[in-house]
Amino acid sequence: MLWVDKYRPKTLDKVTVHDQVAQNLRKLVSEQDCPHLLFYGPSGSGKKTLILALIKQMFGAGAEKVKMENKTWKIDTGTRTLEIELAMLSSAHHVEMNPSDAGFQDRYVVQEVIKEMAKNRPIDAKGKRAFKVLVLNEVDKLSREAQHSLRRTMEKYSASCRLILCCNSSSKVTEAVRSRCLNVRVNAPSEDQIVQVLEFIGKKENLQLPAGFAARIAAQSNRNLRRAILFFETCKVQQYPFTSNQAAPPLDWEQYVSEISTDILTEQSPKRLYAVRQKFYELLVNCIPPESILKKLLAELLKKLDADLKHEICHWAAHYEHKMRLGSKAIFHLEAFVAKFMSIYKEFLVASFG
Amino acid sequence: MGKRPPVVVLSSSSGEDDGGGRRGPSARRSRTPASAPARSQFQAASGSKKKPRRESSAGRGRRRCSEPAASDSLKAEFDMLSEDFSECFDDLGMSGSIRKTKELWVDKYTPRSLAELAVHKKKVEDVKKWLEEMLMAPKQTVGGWTLVLTGQTGVGKSATVKAIAADLGADLCEWTTPVPTLWAEHLHANSGLRYISKLEEFENFVEKIRKYAMLCPTSTKSKRKLIIILIDDIPVTSGNAAFARLGKCLTGLIQSTQVPTVISLTHYHKSESNDTAMWNSEDLESLLQGAGAHKIAFNPVTTNSIKKILIRICKEEIYDAPEELLHQIAISSGGDIRHAIMSLQYYCLDPRRHSSALATSATRAGSKRRDSLVPRQESYGLSSALPSPCGRDETLTLFHALGKFLHNKRETNCDFDIDLDPFPLKEKLRRNSLKMDVPEKILSQAHGKVRTVTDFLHENVLDFIDDEAVDDAWVVVSYLSEADCLLTGSLFTSYNSENMAQLIAASVAARGVLFGNAHVAPSRWHTIRSPKLWQTEQSFRSNKDQVLKERFDCSSSCVSCNFSDIVTEFRPLERWIGPRNDEPRSSLLPHGIGGSLLVDKLDADGSLDEEDDDEIEEC
Repeated sequence: MLWVDKYRPKTLDKVTVHDQVAQNLRKLVSEQDCPHLLFYGPSGSGKKTLILALIKQMFGAGAEKVKMENKTWKIDTGTRTLEIELAMLSSAHHVEMNPSDAGFQDRYVVQEVIKEMAKNRPIDAKGKRAFKVLVLNEVDKLSREAQHSLRRTMEKYSASCRLILCCNSSSKVTEAVRSRCLNVRVNAPSEDQIVQVLEFIGKKENLQLPAGFAARIAAQSNRNLRRAILFFETCKVQQYPFTSNQAAPPLDWEQYVSEISTDILTEQSPKRLYAVRQKFYELLVNCIPPESILKKLLAELLKKLDADLKHEICHWAAHYEHKMRLGSKAIFHLEAFVAKFMSIYKEFLVASFG
Repeated sequence: MGKRPPVVVLSSSSGEDDGGGRRGPSARRSRTPASAPARSQFQAASGSKKKPRRESSAGRGRRRCSEPAASDSLKAEFDMLSEDFSECFDDLGMSGSIRKTKELWVDKYTPRSLAELAVHKKKVEDVKKWLEEMLMAPKQTVGGWTLVLTGQTGVGKSATVKAIAADLGADLCEWTTPVPTLWAEHLHANSGLRYISKLEEFENFVEKIRKYAMLCPTSTKSKRKLIIILIDDIPVTSGNAAFARLGKCLTGLIQSTQVPTVISLTHYHKSESNDTAMWNSEDLESLLQGAGAHKIAFNPVTTNSIKKILIRICKEEIYDAPEELLHQIAISSGGDIRHAIMSLQYYCLDPRRHSSALATSATRAGSKRRDSLVPRQESYGLSSALPSPCGRDETLTLFHALGKFLHNKRETNCDFDIDLDPFPLKEKLRRNSLKMDVPEKILSQAHGKVRTVTDFLHENVLDFIDDEAVDDAWVVVSYLSEADCLLTGSLFTSYNSENMAQLIAASVAARGVLFGNAHVAPSRWHTIRSPKLWQTEQSFRSNKDQVLKERFDCSSSCVSCNFSDIVTEFRPLERWIGPRNDEPRSSLLPHGIGGSLLVDKLDADGSLDEEDDDEIEEC
């Protein structure tokens, strides 16, 4: 078992990083009922951990017995019948799934699947918890249509079903959905907190941590706790007793993106743009989300950029990130950003060095 | 009801001004066997059958008909139309020869001898040589008895074979498609009509001629009868199963026949046939060749030979057509001689008509001459308002259109009169006028899917931009990015607006490419690549599926995780800490993956893929 799972706090009491949030959540569910919830925050900050702990708090150990199934949903759209296969994780009390995996058919999933699930109201003799919890991941990746039908579903079946939504950025969730939920912001843990967690794990695993080792991993993890723990474990596998200057291997795709940024900075021409496009294709083929590519690329470029240009470049990155969201072929927009960067940077070079 | 107004043709002949753009009448009429003898037979045959309808059809007033009109109302209508057509000749008081014959010139001037053929001499010679060889060849040889003729419509494939057959004195056996029982008829009529699919009938026919070939006595050592089989009408198949059946049937025929067999295949224009999911003539062609058939490809008839034929016809009809008109017809027919003759006959009906044709050509020429001064929109308006009334619709291949956009040919002289321009543009926004039609027109002629066009433009445009001009590259790419947004936005809206948004997106993409590319790279030969994007998307999808599937196999940890987290965090580190780190994994790292995944051979779009290597010249 990966340490990420092994040391995941199972109950709200044991949550260390976001203990304040955890306390509030516990108070919330102690009142028998709870509203729909929307957890948002950067990845690796502990949203899922909180959700799982919350469900356990609500239903007790029964919620931990999950089974996984790959269910095929038959959806009648009127003109034809769609078959959508979707993985889901379910226990007696809750169901968890990732509707955005259904791609552009996500709205059918949201409409039909949730409806069906919500209809099957669990019967509890004691009348204690007569509702099911439905955990939806990556709500921000849902299409606009899907989010709209989500809104309707929420209203219609709110008696029998509680939704817990989970996403990275609440700005990509429509207002309508947001206002129907209690929004829970989960911050990225600070580096100190990450160091604490790593030291805790080190103690449990009986590892000797050299001074500054945990801090270095924490810095490398970019305030992403999951990544920090993964790095930590990687280091352990690579080499145990840790040497004082040991660092985790960089993520290969990030390294690749920084290569791209070097390419862009060394030459600005259509030919180079074409070469960059091929590299983007490599990344996209490996399923790296284009948003991550753009973000990482921007970070890499900003590192080496003159301060005067930073603002403008950020503006264009935001512009094309938005376009990417509107459009469907990410490569067009990624490339447009690179082209714009090249154009600005070249002009800058000519102006400053002649 | 009694007094029938002269229907179609007359109205179009008198109301020439409004109907000038329609080339319909002549082309539509072409199918009706309007020759007088055929018609009267037809009536005689039908008249005997259905008596009760007599009154009604008589009421419809067959004014000029000498025999008692008696036919089905539908047939009456049919007669009416064909009669209208002949009536039109009469009413216009054309020269006597036409009135006498009342025949389509296409039928009348079917080439009867080799000299009359408009096809290139060498092709005719090829076909003739082949046929002669086959006719002389000993019976026992197996295979190699089949000839496949390919080419566009109306280039004279069948006519060549017929003329040669007549020349050699051979009998021509043709498969004439039997009158089909319609499926609806089969369903509803309680009569004994049996539905037989075209394909089945064709199979039966092929079976028969194969047997015939066997039976054909080799014992009659005396001068054997010369027989050529001509298969002109291959049934349309849809779907793989039917195509396979047809293929099997034809292959069998080719391998076993011992009579010279000529199969003529019409090449449809690529862009025309790709939207209907019909059989692919090229598949069929390669199949036939694979089975051992000899192939001769016919090219479109040259303008000059069409003109020659037209002049000959005019001479024989004693009709004095101006040279320019003939030229116009010949050019606009696009190498289709049947069409050219048809147009000629249509023009000869009404002396006023050809003046309009000439007028159109004059405006065309005029607009060409003063192009640099007049904004293009105006000339576009002219030529679109008055399309050549006799021309076929021009079609461009997708690659031709792409070439136009990518090469971005413009006028070189920049003598733009800025003072005259009511909206002076900034220097850097000004472009010389295009040396081509308006982009939208080209797009409509190429009729490719908008998505395809933008993908192709995106893939190839960077090659055409000068290496110094990064700014241009940005402008172009940003327009493509806009086009992508438009295309995506149009996905869910209603049908009509979707269409509109698609058109706009295409226009934005094409014009963006034209406008943005202000510094065109020096022209050289380019290969148009097929978008790598398609491959990428396909392998992305398969990779994603794989990742999602693996999520199940591996430990419970990943199951609940988001897809992006798995890809960006778990997978890269999986080598060390993954659940299966003991077995050596083929790493899916971007560096390591190289071509291996991309090589997966992904034909994103088969129909276009094969043209990857189409080299396009500057056009």
